[in-house]
Amino acid sequence: MLVLSRQRDESIMIGDTIVVTIVDIRGDKVRLGINAPSEIPVHRQEVYEAIQRENMRAARLEPGDTEAIGRFGNRSGRPDDSGKR
Amino acid sequence: MRINTSRFGRIDIDAGDVIRFPSGLPGLEDCREWALLADSSNEALGWLQCTTRPEVAVAVVSPRRFVPDYQVRIPRSELTPLALSDIRQAQVVVVVGKTATGLTLNLKAPIVINLEARTGRQVVASGDLPMQYELSHGRPSLRKSA
Repeated sequence: MLVLSRQRDESIMIGDTIVVTIVDIRGDKVRLGINAPSEIPVHRQEVYEAIQRENMRAARLEPGDTEAIGRFGNRSGRPDDSGKR
Repeated sequence: MRINTSRFGRIDIDAGDVIRFPSGLPGLEDCREWALLADSSNEALGWLQCTTRPEVAVAVVSPRRFVPDYQVRIPRSELTPLALSDIRQAQVVVVVGKTATGLTLNLKAPIVINLEARTGRQVVASGDLPMQYELSHGRPSLRKSA
């Protein structure tokens, strides 16, 4: 891991398109500003990892696992593509 | 295109029906092309099938059908990559999961699809939302009354 020290209002460049700026430092909390191209998602690491784990779990489901879904919910709102099969 | 999916057997999809996810999905980053299929026995359910990996698919539903007061707040920066200026132009679905107690919905990370542009992305919604919202027979509300 590259470790750098920065003060408030200083920045770090990652590649040639990503800029991370120290916006504020208060106690043990640092506020970071991130400038990145919109196609690069930026997330708190623990949130991203939780979503990864949840997706990988969900990707193991088979149609038999989801049969019970018919017992919940109301009558409207097809999730599929405008009636196509 | 023809795909020999593990769950649905052989299916045929028009190239124009493919939805492109430029960042894939977290945990499935290499799956960039998906097709949205209807479940054959349950009209509330859809399946996002990866067109490049036949064994990869996730079940999805329209969230408001199951959580009527679900309102997704998504930062504009999450919508721009989809060429969307307004969340109302998008179709929002949530991924169905399963725990020991039953089926769950990932309300924290909905999937937003621009049907016209055929692009999609899983986004992180603002607010304290569950990643495993449990579907139950009780009144489905995100807010508990005092």
